[in-house]
Amino acid sequence: MIGRLARDRSGTSGPSPYPTAAARRWRSLGAILVIVVFLPPLLLLVAGSLRQPGLPPPPGPQLVPEPISTAGYERAVQLGGLVRATFNSLLVAAVAVPVSVVVASLAGFALARLPRRVAGIVIAGSLLALMVPATALLVPKFAVFRVLGLTDTLGALVAPALLGTSPLYPLVYYLAFRALPAELYDACRIEDLSPLRTWWRVALPLVKPVTAAIAALTYVLTWSNFLDPLVYVYDRDLFTLPLALRSLATLDPTNFPIFLAGAVLATAPAIAVFWIAQRRFLHRYEGTRTR
Amino acid sequence: MSGVRVDDVHAAHGVRGIDLSVAQGELLVVLGPSGAGKTTLLRLIAGLAPATRGRVLIAGRDVTRLRPGRRNVSMVFQSYALFPHLTVAQNIDFGLLVRDTSKAAARARTRKAAETVGCDHLLDRRPWQLSGGERQRVALARALVREPDVFLLDEPLSNLDAELRVEMRAELRALHDRIGATMVHVTHDQTEALVLGDRIAVLRDGRVEQVGTPDEIWRTPVTSFVARFVGSPPMNLLPGGLAAELGLPPVEGDRLIGVRPEAVWLGAANGGEAVVTRVDVIGSDAHVYVELGGRSIVARVAADDRPAAGAKVRVAVRPGDVHHFATTGERVAPP
Amino acid sequence: MNERRQLLLMLAPYLIGLTGLVLVPFGVTLLMAFADYDMIRAPRWIGLDNFTALFGDEAFRAALRNSLIFAAVAVPLRLLIALGLALLLHRRAGAVGAARTAAVLPTVVPEIAYGLLWLWLFNPLYGPVNQLLRAGGDNGLTVFGRTPPQWLTDPGDAQAAIIVMSLFTIGEIFVILLATRQALPGEVYELAAIEDATGWDVFRRVTLPLMAPVLGLLLLRDTILSFTVSFVPALVVTDGGPPPYGTTYLSLFVYRNAFEYLRYGYAAAATVVMLVLTVLAVALQWHLIRRYRRQYGLAPG
Repeated sequence: MIGRLARDRSGTSGPSPYPTAAARRWRSLGAILVIVVFLPPLLLLVAGSLRQPGLPPPPGPQLVPEPISTAGYERAVQLGGLVRATFNSLLVAAVAVPVSVVVASLAGFALARLPRRVAGIVIAGSLLALMVPATALLVPKFAVFRVLGLTDTLGALVAPALLGTSPLYPLVYYLAFRALPAELYDACRIEDLSPLRTWWRVALPLVKPVTAAIAALTYVLTWSNFLDPLVYVYDRDLFTLPLALRSLATLDPTNFPIFLAGAVLATAPAIAVFWIAQRRFLHRYEGTRTR
Repeated sequence: MSGVRVDDVHAAHGVRGIDLSVAQGELLVVLGPSGAGKTTLLRLIAGLAPATRGRVLIAGRDVTRLRPGRRNVSMVFQSYALFPHLTVAQNIDFGLLVRDTSKAAARARTRKAAETVGCDHLLDRRPWQLSGGERQRVALARALVREPDVFLLDEPLSNLDAELRVEMRAELRALHDRIGATMVHVTHDQTEALVLGDRIAVLRDGRVEQVGTPDEIWRTPVTSFVARFVGSPPMNLLPGGLAAELGLPPVEGDRLIGVRPEAVWLGAANGGEAVVTRVDVIGSDAHVYVELGGRSIVARVAADDRPAAGAKVRVAVRPGDVHHFATTGERVAPP
Repeated sequence: MNERRQLLLMLAPYLIGLTGLVLVPFGVTLLMAFADYDMIRAPRWIGLDNFTALFGDEAFRAALRNSLIFAAVAVPLRLLIALGLALLLHRRAGAVGAARTAAVLPTVVPEIAYGLLWLWLFNPLYGPVNQLLRAGGDNGLTVFGRTPPQWLTDPGDAQAAIIVMSLFTIGEIFVILLATRQALPGEVYELAAIEDATGWDVFRRVTLPLMAPVLGLLLLRDTILSFTVSFVPALVVTDGGPPPYGTTYLSLFVYRNAFEYLRYGYAAAATVVMLVLTVLAVALQWHLIRRYRRQYGLAPG
């Protein structure tokens, strides 16, 4: 909606498809408006976490709390067992993300190289799987994991990596590998490369930006996963960060600096990874167009 | 021993029984319009497309059931298919290293191949830093380095601009003569075929129409299709009834007479009377279209000698330059 | 053929995951909807009893109504906002790069942390949202002399709160639309300029039809996701309330019945209703998309 307004105004400044100085100014103004709307929740998250726990709430909104205190963080780490939970989360991500990316890219490659008829069936199944809401699968998955002895283990949290975390990612890889020129694959066959080596030596290096984006998204999804641990993990020693955070919040729901501090701790790694990867997919068009 | 032999090969995409043999060290050009099955034939030899019937032999070996990598062929693709993420040197030695050649040996052979085609100064560059002609050379070096039994070239010159195409054509021919390799070169460009080939195979609708030296193809096309496909503008095909008007000995009415535009003589003393309908000047040449007895005939003359559109001219043909075809298209002896 | 076998082997892990973790559980859910099952005793087939019970259940009716309202309001709004952002930010200008990052950041925050953040932001007494709304007013009223929204205790306000929360997490849709807009060929805009088309005309006749296929897919996807998106906020921020079922959505209903009340068959039946609704919504949208595409002479389907 914000964009529409700015667009219309820039349209009246001239029919040129290329931005005039005035159009650029309106666009910048719109961009600043976007920042003003989207950034405050996160700033408030940090601000709230830095308040002194136990103080009465301030009468008005405060972007910089007074006094600034890190007591919320100390209490959060002690009360919530966040160290243990962070370790568990890291462990899950360290196994699940690489496995997931490998599974997704292998599957995407195979789909791109197999006859259309075979690939079509698998793609249809993946699209179907995308339509099923996660909550619809909790109960039967719980049954499957119980049979396999995976309930109340971190294995239940790594399991989604087996389907690439989301059926969307093999499909994205499929499209990326399909978009490579067919003659490159022919050249590999002439050089007697097996499909596995073609995947590793030629196809994968050529879709690095896709891998960066998918790895980052997989990481963020795995790191944030709340539903799976909520259902499959009960042992406090196996709690991942999101779960530990929830129990921290239920411990004392009114003492918000403590659970906001926990939220900041859980958010920071996700944002860090996103920050590293974003150049690849948010700003790539400016960088590589000259190629 | 033959370099490549193809026995009655059938395949999807309209290859319907092709027999061909390419001698050791020969450069065979496969020529035909798009959709004739040229590229499919090449892919059949490479093993990239499966044959539904027939056999493919390379260096005397039946390779019909072998996968591409086991046939010891190399291929230059239309788009060159260089690996964008590898340097020129890595592109060239790719085939050696994946076959477990030692690094040192691979490096030496890469340098030699690069020198042979004149791209040894580019070894550290990436494909996207190269011009079209340079990519072409790298693709050739990559094909060369493994010393395969046969080189397959799929319209390798079609992505180059006209000037470069002529230059690379000459270099390709020189390269072939220097290394004496067996080559199968696919193109739809008849000039390229005539200049490059030891022999030319003309394909039409998935079958071989004629195989012969450029000279044979040009002088004695065995069908009217070959006659018209080779030569620009294409050969005039006229009903036999027009023979008298063109100053030729009489021909049976159901025969076709084929006359190349070069052999049409405008301003003959005793030719048939025709009207010039169009004149295209191409530099020093002119293509003059005249209408005679309701038929359009094209003549190629020097631009300086061209008549104006709308002018009346007398048209005749030099008797020695006439081809005769049955209405089915086959060549027949002159009466 | 050897090569084919190797490719199938490469596909195998994903196929195992897909069938084992999605397709088979999905089939099991469909079966369990017709059974009475508590995971202790063997399932007992009871035909359509679960469904008749569902429609007599006030909690379920409330969950159904809430989910439909959420999907009908939040999904179009999310798509519109993301489209607006993509069109605004697809071209370089000052602050555009920062705005792109800002628009995606809330999506990156883990769901639970995001929920806790809004739990605080929406607190009627000391939450920043209401503090802001009260700024300038007296006695805890807004400038206009009205009571600020009771986000967590009034059913309507609570639903609005959950929708507002969902409007900030549009990063994924935004990124896809941004890439789509940037991939549109410049020539069509040059042509539009030559024809002297401006602003709204360009948007309606050029941009919208060209982006329609992607927009359509995103609409379908977001509708499907809307059943999941509302789960964590409802669980963490409003706890399904205000009582009795102010923000109980289908996903929360399923979760509670399965894992708190151990009524798996009943939960599965609710899941099936959810799926049927999804399929209906998808079919309806698909139909509309096809009609729109035909109007612009694009290939159907």
